[in-house]
Amino acid sequence: MIGRLLRLAWRNLWRNPRRTLIAMAAIAFGYAMLLFVACLMAGLRQQMIETGTGLLLSDVEVQAPGYYPERPIDQTLGGSNGTDVSALVAAIAANARVQAASPRVYGYGLVSATQQSIGVQLLGVVPGQEQKITTLQTRMVKGSYLTGRMPKGVVMGDKLAATIGVGVGSEVVLLAPAADGSMGNDRYTVAGLFHTGLDAMDRGLVIMPLASLQELLRLPAGGIHEVGIKLDDDGITAATATAAALQAQLSKTFPVRARAWPALVPQLADYVEFNRRVTFILFFIFFLLAVIGIVNTMLMAIVERTREFGMLMAVGMRPAQVVGLIVAEAASLAAASLVLGGVLGAPLLWYLQIHGLNLGGGRGAISLAGVVVGPRWYGRQDFTAYAQAALGLAVTALVAALYPALRAARFRPAAALRKV
Amino acid sequence: MICLALTWLSLGQASPRANDQRAREIVDRVARLYISKSTIATMQMQINKKGRQRNISMQFWSLDESKILVRIRLPQEDAGTAILKVGNQIWYYLPKAKRTVKIRASMMMSSWMGSNFTLNDLVKQSRLTDDYEIATSFEGVRDGVAVSEYTLTPKPKAAVVWGKITLEVRHGDQMPVWQRFYDEDGKLVRELTFSEYRIVDGRRIPTRLVMETMGKGGKKAVEQTTITYEKIVFDEPISEKLFSLGNLKQ
Repeated sequence: MIGRLLRLAWRNLWRNPRRTLIAMAAIAFGYAMLLFVACLMAGLRQQMIETGTGLLLSDVEVQAPGYYPERPIDQTLGGSNGTDVSALVAAIAANARVQAASPRVYGYGLVSATQQSIGVQLLGVVPGQEQKITTLQTRMVKGSYLTGRMPKGVVMGDKLAATIGVGVGSEVVLLAPAADGSMGNDRYTVAGLFHTGLDAMDRGLVIMPLASLQELLRLPAGGIHEVGIKLDDDGITAATATAAALQAQLSKTFPVRARAWPALVPQLADYVEFNRRVTFILFFIFFLLAVIGIVNTMLMAIVERTREFGMLMAVGMRPAQVVGLIVAEAASLAAASLVLGGVLGAPLLWYLQIHGLNLGGGRGAISLAGVVVGPRWYGRQDFTAYAQAALGLAVTALVAALYPALRAARFRPAAALRKV
Repeated sequence: MICLALTWLSLGQASPRANDQRAREIVDRVARLYISKSTIATMQMQINKKGRQRNISMQFWSLDESKILVRIRLPQEDAGTAILKVGNQIWYYLPKAKRTVKIRASMMMSSWMGSNFTLNDLVKQSRLTDDYEIATSFEGVRDGVAVSEYTLTPKPKAAVVWGKITLEVRHGDQMPVWQRFYDEDGKLVRELTFSEYRIVDGRRIPTRLVMETMGKGGKKAVEQTTITYEKIVFDEPISEKLFSLGNLKQ
């Protein structure tokens, strides 16, 4: 019965190809537009998370219990409290959601050249390993990122370098309060300069090999402050869940705390959530535009066929069957249109993800609420949103067909036949 | 008649001003207890922090109020570090890096060598009376000793970090008993206690200073630093050359 109805509906659709194609175009175009918007918005959220966490923070940080948020330099993992750092890193890397993990050391101090000294944050990383969890190495503007071959090499922000008057190859002196209370000091060579667009980093951060910073800060042998972790999914929910799983998994063996980025930078998480809501409103507006187009086309298509329905009922089709036929036509139409929309949209989505849109007009990235966006705005596939849009449009097409269908079913055949 | 009235008016004003002037003199003298034409001192600094103790031994030279040199002798890891202040400029000589670096004035207000003193406490010799208004806030007997308490509030445009400083001075020998530093919200931040008063080169000075930084909620902190003057000599001739950058690394 249903099969026969669908066959009939499909045949009906192609009895007037022009009308059907117009309706299909309305739905397919609406769907492609929604895909485009969803992809760009997901890309923006992703870029926020990536610049907010990917440059420096990482997705999850594992630290000694008393370390966060004050970050006192004597609260180390390994060294004094005896955690085996390499076993800890191995245990973290064993989690299926973890892509990479790398130990780090933090400190603060003065970076000084001939006549100028400035207070900065010091970060010690493992060259070669850190690049797997953060992306600062992609922002080098001069020289190169840290390598294992330069134990006394440091990289710093371009604005910091300009302020103290140094360049690649220059010597700088670092002066830092060490863990034992003494004043750590040594000479280093500037290996490279980075530019992120974030002033706090470009003006106030010096990165150096982990072992050099451990030595400068006189940390207990092998002592680190945290293990930074890169996850396969850094969305708010996924990262928080993975951090909780890591915590449960690790705390059996190690006295540590695992925190996901939404707990480390709640303002960024709030901002991403805010963006998600704004996106939803924008998405809804585009959705309404698509709905208007579809309702209009569907209504016209059915009102046009009043005479036809009158004829069907005159030859004995029951009103319920008429409604069924129209709904079946609308459903097939919607399904075909969504497939068409998807096929038309896919290259666009692919292009957005790979090439992005150029925003900056050559003027570089813009910094917004601590997040660098652009200069290229990349899309990201948000399949949940794509499915929601498809469902929404299909329901719209059905509802838009149902109203004129019910009206048609109430016609007396004679009256309907006289129309048009 | 008019003359009489004017005299009376000026007399009426003279009395509090004279009192104010005396308070200023006392505070000024206390702030400059260790300052002379020249000073040479050997100091021990004992830092107690989180159950750990650290001792720093250093030597101190000052000349004409504007030149100060501090050399750290012990512990081994900091030995050779030297701090030179000439006017408002400060340099550090760092023995490991074998370099002299210039320090920003803003760095002077943070903890020095992990102690509860700031570099500012050690090498700033400005007169408190330049930056603060001074009022006598208590006069009488405390713990069986006749004392005065002075309250120092920053002048409107003074570039100072404290919201208020109070200072207790004994009447008998005009020696300071304690000095308390408050933040801008009126919360006690740290307390400096003076003791072991001795006569050195004909001057009476406290030779033991204990600085305690208050914990959160104004509780007595577990962190404290004691400075003990082991040897102090006033007004001995010192060469200007001692206070030169070239002499820093020694």
